[in-house]
Amino acid sequence: MSGDPLFPIALSLRVAALAVALVGPPGIALAWLQARRRYPGRALVDALVLLPLVLPPTVVGYLLVVYFGRHGPIGRALDALFGARVVFTPAAAVVASAIVALPLLVKTAQPAIEAVPSELEEVGRSLGLGPTALFARVTLPAAWQGVIAALVLAFARAIGEFGATLMFAGNIPGRTNTMPLELYAAWQAGEEGRALLYAGVLSGVSLAVVLLAPRLAPRAQAFLERPRS
Amino acid sequence: MSMRARAALVLLVFTASLARAGDAPRAVTLAAAASLRPVLPEVIEAFRGDSGAPAIEVSYGASGALRAQVEAGAPIDAVLFASPNEVDALVAKGLVDPSTRRSIATNTLVLIGPRQGPAVRFDSLASLPPGERIAIGDPRSVPAGRYAQQALTALGSWDALAPRFVLGADVAGVLAIVRRGEAAAGIVYETDARPFDDVRVLDRATGAWAPSVELVAAVVRGAPRSDEAARFLAFATSPRGRSIFTAHGFGPPRP
Repeated sequence: MSGDPLFPIALSLRVAALAVALVGPPGIALAWLQARRRYPGRALVDALVLLPLVLPPTVVGYLLVVYFGRHGPIGRALDALFGARVVFTPAAAVVASAIVALPLLVKTAQPAIEAVPSELEEVGRSLGLGPTALFARVTLPAAWQGVIAALVLAFARAIGEFGATLMFAGNIPGRTNTMPLELYAAWQAGEEGRALLYAGVLSGVSLAVVLLAPRLAPRAQAFLERPRS
Repeated sequence: MSMRARAALVLLVFTASLARAGDAPRAVTLAAAASLRPVLPEVIEAFRGDSGAPAIEVSYGASGALRAQVEAGAPIDAVLFASPNEVDALVAKGLVDPSTRRSIATNTLVLIGPRQGPAVRFDSLASLPPGERIAIGDPRSVPAGRYAQQALTALGSWDALAPRFVLGADVAGVLAIVRRGEAAAGIVYETDARPFDDVRVLDRATGAWAPSVELVAAVVRGAPRSDEAARFLAFATSPRGRSIFTAHGFGPPRP
C-alpha cells in the first residue's frame, strides 16, 4: 500500500502547477480590479479574497465536501450534467489548493499592479488600446516581476495544502496522495525515512520560493520608480 | 525590567505552564483505538464511580499512529489497541510491561454501505459499478485496514480492488466517508457501525478467510500513573467491565 515514493512528489508538483494555472488568470484579473477600480462592494470582494487565508483549511475542506459532495447542490448538478464526481479525485486536490492559494496571489499581485504609473496606461489608452490589450501590453509588462512573485508564492501555498485536500480529495494511493498527505500517513505509520523525504522536498521548495519571491517583488518596484523620476 | 520584557516574560511563563508535565498530579492518560470511542467513556465512568479514582483522559486514534507516539515518548500510561501487533511491537521494544498485556475484547470486521447504496458482500466487491470507491483504514497504521487487507487477500481480490481504495486515518474517518455517501462501501468493525442508522451492515466477516479481531491492552513501562492504569485495565476485563463491552456489541476477550 506504500507504493512508489516518487509518485507523491510528481503528483504534488502537478497539482500545484494546475492550481496556479486555474487560479492565476482570475486571480490576476481580481488583483487588477482591486488595484484600479473603485466600486460598491469592493471591500467585500477584498474580504472574500482574504478569507481562505484566515479560514482553517478544515473549514474549506468541509464546505467543499458539503457543496461538491454526492449529496451537495454542486456535486449533484455536476453528476447530472456531466456524470462527473469531484470528491476523491486529483481535480479536487487542484480545487482545494487553488482556493487556498488565491489570497496570496491577489495580495502580492495587487501592489505590483498599483505601482504601475496610471500615466502609462493613459498613454496606452490615448493610442487606442482596448482594456484587454492595455493590460496585456502595458500593465502586465510593467508589473511582471510582482505578478511572477505572486504566482510563485501561490505555487508554494498550493503545494503545501493538507487539511482541505485530505477531506476533499481523500487519500487514494497512486491518485490523490500528495506529499503533505503522504508525510502525515508516514508519520502515523512510524515510517521516519519516508516522512523525512517529503519533509525535505517540501522544505526545499518552500526555501527556494522565499528566496526567490522577494528578489522579484522589490526589483519590480525599483523598475517602476525609474520612468517616474 | 522594561514593559516589553515583562510582557514577554509573562507570555513565556504562561506558554510554559501549558506544557507543564510535572508537579500537579496529571490525569491517567490512555491511548486508545478509535474503535473504542463508543464504549470507553462508559467503562471509565463505571471505574471512577466505583473507586473514586483519579481523572482519566483518553487520546483516540489509529492504533499504529498511537504506537508511533508512544515510541516517540508521548506521556501515555496505558495503551488499548485494536490489534495485538501494535502492543507486541511495543513489548519488543521494551516500552510496555509484558506482564500487564491482556486481551480486553474481540470484534468482527464488517462491510458497511450508505443506506441507499448497492448491496455487495466481501466476496463481491469487484461488482461495484466502476468509479465507486471503497473506504478502508490505511493498512500501514490502522489495524482495521490491515484486517481488511488480510480478509481481501484471503478472498483473492485485494490486488484487483486496490485502485478503488480511499484511505481513512482511522475507523472514524472511514465511517465518515461512508456516512456521507462518498464511498459505496467501507470496512470497519461491527461495533463502529452500530450507533449509526445512516449506514447499514452489508456483510460480516465470518468463515475461514475472516481475520480474528482482538483488542489488547498493556501498561507503559515506567509511566507515572502505571498503578492506576493497571487497575483500570483490570476493571475493564472484570465481569462489570466486560458487561459494558458486551452491551456495545464487543465479543469476550481471549483467555
